[in-house]
Amino acid sequence: MLVINLGLYSDGEELFDFLLQTINEYFYIEGNVVNGYLIAYLALNTLWVHIPILIIIVTAYIFSGEFELGTIRLLLTQPISRSNFLIAKIISMIIYNFCFMLVIAVSAIVPSVLLFGTGDVVVFIDGIQFIQEATFLSRFFNSVMFATLAMIAFSCMTMYFALVFKNTLTAILLALGILILFTLLQTFVIGIFSSWQPYLFTYHIAQWQLFFINEIPLNDIFNSVYYLTGMALFFIIISIVKFNKMNISE
Amino acid sequence: MCILKVEDLSLDYGKQEVLMAISFSIKKGQIIGLLGPNGAGKSSIIKILAGLVFPKSGKLFFEGNLKPSFSELRNHCGFLIDSPAFYPFLSAKQNLQLIRKINKSDVNLDQLLHKVGLPYVNSKKVKNFSTGMKQRLAIAQAILRNPDILILDEPFSGLDPNGFQDLIFLLKALNKKGTTIIVSSHLLHELEQFADTFILLHKGKIAMNMTKNELLKSKKKVAFTFEEAPSKQVMNYLNTLGVVFDNPTLAILLIDPNEIATVVNNLVALKGTPINVETLTLLQEKYLEITA
Repeated sequence: MLVINLGLYSDGEELFDFLLQTINEYFYIEGNVVNGYLIAYLALNTLWVHIPILIIIVTAYIFSGEFELGTIRLLLTQPISRSNFLIAKIISMIIYNFCFMLVIAVSAIVPSVLLFGTGDVVVFIDGIQFIQEATFLSRFFNSVMFATLAMIAFSCMTMYFALVFKNTLTAILLALGILILFTLLQTFVIGIFSSWQPYLFTYHIAQWQLFFINEIPLNDIFNSVYYLTGMALFFIIISIVKFNKMNISE
Repeated sequence: MCILKVEDLSLDYGKQEVLMAISFSIKKGQIIGLLGPNGAGKSSIIKILAGLVFPKSGKLFFEGNLKPSFSELRNHCGFLIDSPAFYPFLSAKQNLQLIRKINKSDVNLDQLLHKVGLPYVNSKKVKNFSTGMKQRLAIAQAILRNPDILILDEPFSGLDPNGFQDLIFLLKALNKKGTTIIVSSHLLHELEQFADTFILLHKGKIAMNMTKNELLKSKKKVAFTFEEAPSKQVMNYLNTLGVVFDNPTLAILLIDPNEIATVVNNLVALKGTPINVETLTLLQEKYLEITA
């Protein structure tokens, strides 16, 4: 993030001119719209495809790593229940997700603000959205919280794969395969394909952007929160059931 | 007092039946030797008792009380599962600290490491340990919370002769303090000296469950070697005992150990004195007899 910011700071003028070209044709803009807030938003926008990949690599290892090392047998022969063991792992996974997203958020906003200052933000989501400077930070914080929930839901799915296959690489590849497939399906927004969208988790993961619409569509956001919470709970429950019945013979 | 009782324990992996309704009971303070060829089901029994594998059927009684599942036993047992694994990037002490925390124990880890013969490992990472050192560490984690029952799967594998003797000494000391011990091993001769009861598994069933005394009392194979082929009189006498000749000068008899002296006396009287009388190892003999 810091490198991106320094790059933009030293040689970003051309890029900003390009980005603002359309707006400048239709609007008279006063003040600094190329500011730290905009860059933080753009940075998040760029990274939201990469963040899930970084999340699942660690998540998969949290669960299948014990199988690969063989330490699962060491731990499960101690006087702790399997459910408690898995819940402890899930809690550590959730903490990791929070910490990771916190680091991403802080590293997105702090250097940007320090280098470029603050101001109103203009973004393109369902048309042009003008975000007032005063509301940006709360929108940014809420979107990061939402994205954290989305990442937890995605991590829960990866956890299930890691438990079933007991192999980190398989779990990562499967989770990534599903992420790519669903993202592709999501891009077809015509005819029958558009009716699939609300059922794809990738559609709900991307809903963090709704916080940057002028009138925040709370209904849509809550629908996605319910979907992602339900998805996380579903995978947690089936993982606990699966783990409690699993023979650890090798 | 019966500390552990298992009834009708069955296990299968798909179509492959591993354990077929086996039952056994173990008294407090016993040392059980669990024997059997590869694939007989020894490790499967231990994994079931450890709660790692779920049986198809079976009941578990601990100190006379029926337990709802085999995993309940984890609260009373220390386990050493075959090919023990630890966190390779942690030291022995750090690994044990983790186990101690899970067990809510306050055992002194330095003393524990000393007890299993790992006093000088300090900060050395487990990834740099030899197989024998890992085995010693596995024993340390198994005895960490002074379990009522110690269940060990192939505890001697990877140990050098000193390690082997140390472990026997340690296990005997624990047994003296009242710990019941179940040991699965292929080292029959060593088990014979160490254990007081033997359970031999063969093709998923208990083929033999015998105390050491019963084993000693049972008939055993004795090999009588003669300098030259025995006379007709001697042959007739040996035939009445059901002799089998491996070669003209080597006669093998299955007899009660108390009868050996009588047989030798009779052979001397018939002028067929054997030049050597050798008793085959009891446990090995039984093992081969059943599993052959």
